[in-house]
Amino acid sequence: MENLERISFTVALAAYFLSTLMYLAFAATGNRRTAKIGRFCVAAGFVLHFICIVSRGIAAGRLPLTNQYEFASAFAWGIALCFLIFTGIYQFDILGSFIAPVIFLVIGYASMQSKEIHALMPALQSGWLGFHVCMAIISYGAFGVAFGVSGAYLYRDHSEKCGRAQNGRIPELDVLDNIIYRAVALGFLFLTLCMITGAIWANRAWGSYWSWDPKETWSLITWIIYAIYLHLRLNKGMNGRKSAFFALIGFISVLFTYIGVNTLLSGLHSYK
Amino acid sequence: MQLSFAVLGILIAACIAGSVMPQGVTLAAYMELYGEKTGRMLFDLGFDHLFTCPWFVFLTALLCFNLIFCSVSRLPALIRAAAARKEKAGYLSLGMFGSWITHVGILMMIISFACGQVFSTEYEIYGIAGSSQPIGDTGLVLSIDSFDVLMREDFTVDQYVAGVTVSDADGRSESGTSSVNHPFSAFGYKIYQDSTGWAAFVDILKGEEVQREDLLCAGEYTWPDEMPGLVFLLNKVYPDLAVDSNGAYISATPLLNNPHFLYSIYYGGRVIDMNMAEFGSPVGVADYHFIARDPCEYTLLVIKHDPSEIFVLISALIIVAGLFIAFYIKPMEERRGKSGTN
Repeated sequence: MENLERISFTVALAAYFLSTLMYLAFAATGNRRTAKIGRFCVAAGFVLHFICIVSRGIAAGRLPLTNQYEFASAFAWGIALCFLIFTGIYQFDILGSFIAPVIFLVIGYASMQSKEIHALMPALQSGWLGFHVCMAIISYGAFGVAFGVSGAYLYRDHSEKCGRAQNGRIPELDVLDNIIYRAVALGFLFLTLCMITGAIWANRAWGSYWSWDPKETWSLITWIIYAIYLHLRLNKGMNGRKSAFFALIGFISVLFTYIGVNTLLSGLHSYK
Repeated sequence: MQLSFAVLGILIAACIAGSVMPQGVTLAAYMELYGEKTGRMLFDLGFDHLFTCPWFVFLTALLCFNLIFCSVSRLPALIRAAAARKEKAGYLSLGMFGSWITHVGILMMIISFACGQVFSTEYEIYGIAGSSQPIGDTGLVLSIDSFDVLMREDFTVDQYVAGVTVSDADGRSESGTSSVNHPFSAFGYKIYQDSTGWAAFVDILKGEEVQREDLLCAGEYTWPDEMPGLVFLLNKVYPDLAVDSNGAYISATPLLNNPHFLYSIYYGGRVIDMNMAEFGSPVGVADYHFIARDPCEYTLLVIKHDPSEIFVLISALIIVAGLFIAFYIKPMEERRGKSGTN
């Protein structure tokens, strides 16, 4: 089972890398065939990645969502899932040129982490673990998509301002803006669920649903950033560059919540 | 709304500071970290307990008032708009209330959390199996019937399980077990398995005569009644003493194979002895001796009653419902509206 996990992880990593190359080639040349191969590679990587996660779960005898490697791997899988959903809905190949590199970078980060399987400490032995982390994966995945699309938005916006002719590969700005909003809305809903399930779990484990632990605090910071984004967009009609920048800042906060807090700050969530 | 954003911006900055700067530490620690002047200023501003300091609470209260004002002032317009839409489209647009419901949920959550901070009661009790203690001023008594640390083959901890009995003044009692993630409920209180550590009995002898027996947890101290200036500190317990490759003392396993303890003896505030000793062997000065014996693991239990819990949960459900309605009901109705006009 460990061999299956190792092989499927390596092949998934390679598939995501290939998809990144193909999508970048599509962005440069406009050859639709490369985009098709890129999407196929993401889909193949996604399936293999799923096999990797399941096989690790079987080998560990628990949900493989507890340490840096396992969560980074699941995080990349969540972005791939959201990417496939969003490209399925919106049918814009160019999104892959901005999101596939994010998937590859996150799984690349996972590949650098220790893959040792450890038994769970008592606090992590809870049915809430699955709910809590799955909510985080979908949420972070959606924010990852919003981040990638924001990159596309800012690139097109910059090109237009420079007077460069658009080749039609990158969708109109208002379409991109709408995709960013949809992704942030999905991510925000799941981040809220993630925080709520975490609070319920913390209350079961430690008798306190909120302890201002660094991870909790940074989740709240991320939540407030995206809340401000949604508020400004829905009530003040904010869109355009500001909206894209907000999605970028939000994702930086997501990354700090996940990587920065675990590595730089110590707290109840420091499971390395 | 401008005020809300300003407050949220300051709260974000405060949260970042609170996550980076050490919380619950002394002025000396702040002065060492940030220099004398800055450290004192930050300490005086409450950065050492940022999330409960007055200005943070004030900002949160300000945000609450803003939420109340927004929610109340927006409601009539929202109802009018919904009524107009119902008249036009023929159905009530629930989606229009999503954002409002979310705001009410957030407001409820902040208020419930604040009430929890004020009205919840919490007690900590630690002891070894067989000990009993009153739970604060509740009139209840907690007995620790058993305490087991369940370990795997590699000595990693699988679970901490405390068997407890809670009794009231009328002689009624409830028994059960409390383990991590599985608190025990009795008489409206929840009993949480919080942490554990090593403890030992310490006999205080003057000459050959045992003057007193104390149960000390690692890090605790005791002294003879007649000589309070002489203090025995049980620094650390090593259940299976060994020396690692760097020459440092470690415990090879958590089993009581070779139990030793590290101790310090103070006299007049000065350390006069500090060493490693085997359990059962006397240590001390002049006529006074301390004998540490029978090392065992103690459990720290947290007993809590929080009447706000249910309201926090309801608030959370309201927030989720509000967000779902705001993001997904409204667009569906809009789509329906669009297809209807086509």
